[in-house]
Amino acid sequence: MSDTDIVESLKRDLGEKVLELTNPDRRRIFFKVAPADLVAAVTVLRDRYDCAFLSTITGLDTGEAFELLYHFASPVTTIHVRTEIPRSDPRLPSICPVIPGAVLYERELQEMFGIVVQGIPDPRRLNLPDDWPDGQYPMRKDWHHVRPEEVIPGGKS
Amino acid sequence: MSFEIPIGPQHPALKEPISLRMTVEGEVITGVDIRLGYNHRGVEKVAEEKNWTQNIYLAERICGICSHSHATCFVQGVEKLMELAPPKRGLYIRYLVSELERVHSHLLWLGVAGHEAGFDSFFMYTWRDREIVMDLLEMISGNRVHYAINTIGGVRRDLDEGQKATILEGVATLRKRSEYYFRIGATEPSFVARIAGVGMLSKEQALSLCATGPVAKASGVARDVRKEDPYAVYDELDFEVATADTCDVLGRVVVRVKELLESYKMIEQMIKNLPDGDIACKAPRKAKPGEAVSRYEAPRGENIHYIKSNGSDKPERLKVRAPTLGNYPATVEMLRNGFIADIPLIFAAIDPCICCAERTVTLIGARNGQESVVRMSDLRQQALARAKNAPVKGNAVWPF
Repeated sequence: MSDTDIVESLKRDLGEKVLELTNPDRRRIFFKVAPADLVAAVTVLRDRYDCAFLSTITGLDTGEAFELLYHFASPVTTIHVRTEIPRSDPRLPSICPVIPGAVLYERELQEMFGIVVQGIPDPRRLNLPDDWPDGQYPMRKDWHHVRPEEVIPGGKS
Repeated sequence: MSFEIPIGPQHPALKEPISLRMTVEGEVITGVDIRLGYNHRGVEKVAEEKNWTQNIYLAERICGICSHSHATCFVQGVEKLMELAPPKRGLYIRYLVSELERVHSHLLWLGVAGHEAGFDSFFMYTWRDREIVMDLLEMISGNRVHYAINTIGGVRRDLDEGQKATILEGVATLRKRSEYYFRIGATEPSFVARIAGVGMLSKEQALSLCATGPVAKASGVARDVRKEDPYAVYDELDFEVATADTCDVLGRVVVRVKELLESYKMIEQMIKNLPDGDIACKAPRKAKPGEAVSRYEAPRGENIHYIKSNGSDKPERLKVRAPTLGNYPATVEMLRNGFIADIPLIFAAIDPCICCAERTVTLIGARNGQESVVRMSDLRQQALARAKNAPVKGNAVWPF
């Protein structure tokens, strides 16, 4: 199946749910869905397009919103599902019931962007330490690292 | 009664900081929790503050063993963003280094697997042979670990005729040695019996947990980015995707040995068909706004970089997913229902001193919590009896 066939059949299968569908390069298909349709779209990809392999989830901070890209790969192409959630209310449905391997990437989204993934089976932090302050999300664009002032026990001699 | 055994983050047997919490009942692992982050350096955040060229060297430092994988994956994506077409000779040299890196990584892994299985002569053989490929890499790039051969638009060093001959000579030696590893299983059945049936991961699990690389290939999932999404020169090369269907550590050894032979084949093809011409083209300082997804088959599996540019000389976003992260959910399943003694084999980076550290003469029944005091000799007898009744291991066959 070539990319054009897949694009056509995606339009047929998902109908209204597909918002923007592009094919900028060979074996690279991008489309956008509303967050509410995400799980349904992922289920269709898994069942009809052999896209059970989720490479990763990319989070992007565009300033007003968070953009998320779910990178799927099938034996013939790669499909990248884009969705956008408002920064003021960053909530997202979990795709773990469909793709169990997504849990680590969703945990990463939660700690790095402060996105609340609803229904995630394991909500703990992934990479950040246990004593990391709440409300600090390092991959947001307005977060900057401030090096804490070095305290020498006993003061400088 | 179940116990929790913490392994790491700092443990004399661990080569890198990771924390594994094993819930064990008797000697059987019932649950595993992997905790990460002890080595988190914030590379993705740093990348947003460096320019395209600086980021090549940052990407190269993500990993020490597959350093070239990350640098190449990043450079591929940036070249797509900048709409560059690197000269053929440059690409051939770049992917020649890729395959040499795969050879060194697989030889290293085979040695570790042999060591963890208690077959130390295998470890010494493979690591001796690994020196051949390390020397080749040093000759090509000037470095043994971070080759720094990539640049945006090609590579930084050319090959001459003498170097080509040396590479072919080295690969011929390595092929002869690898063919010997093929025959080892037939003459050393205890090695095969030790690794067969350990760390089972079914094909369905491998698919649903998004396993990648040799882990997936050993479970019968023939997925390889070089075949599915042939980047750069791979559609001009003749090779096959190595798979095995035993779903265990034996399968993973088989896949790696097969991949070694495929890599030798590709190296020879690339050296013989090395085109003439330039090795690099000039790259602009800035990239147009846009996004690119770059995939690369690293020795451990699929490596994916997502790069977004905003029109400046720095990336807007660089997302990196290394293959090992993708394989953690599968590792948890492999360890489950295994024995403590198999942890090092399955995890292949943990020394077996964990199991010998817990010597006891008071046994607590795993299911009923009953305590019984036994003599050391009785314990040994029990262990021997259990090993004798271990399932199917005795029938394991070396598939070559």
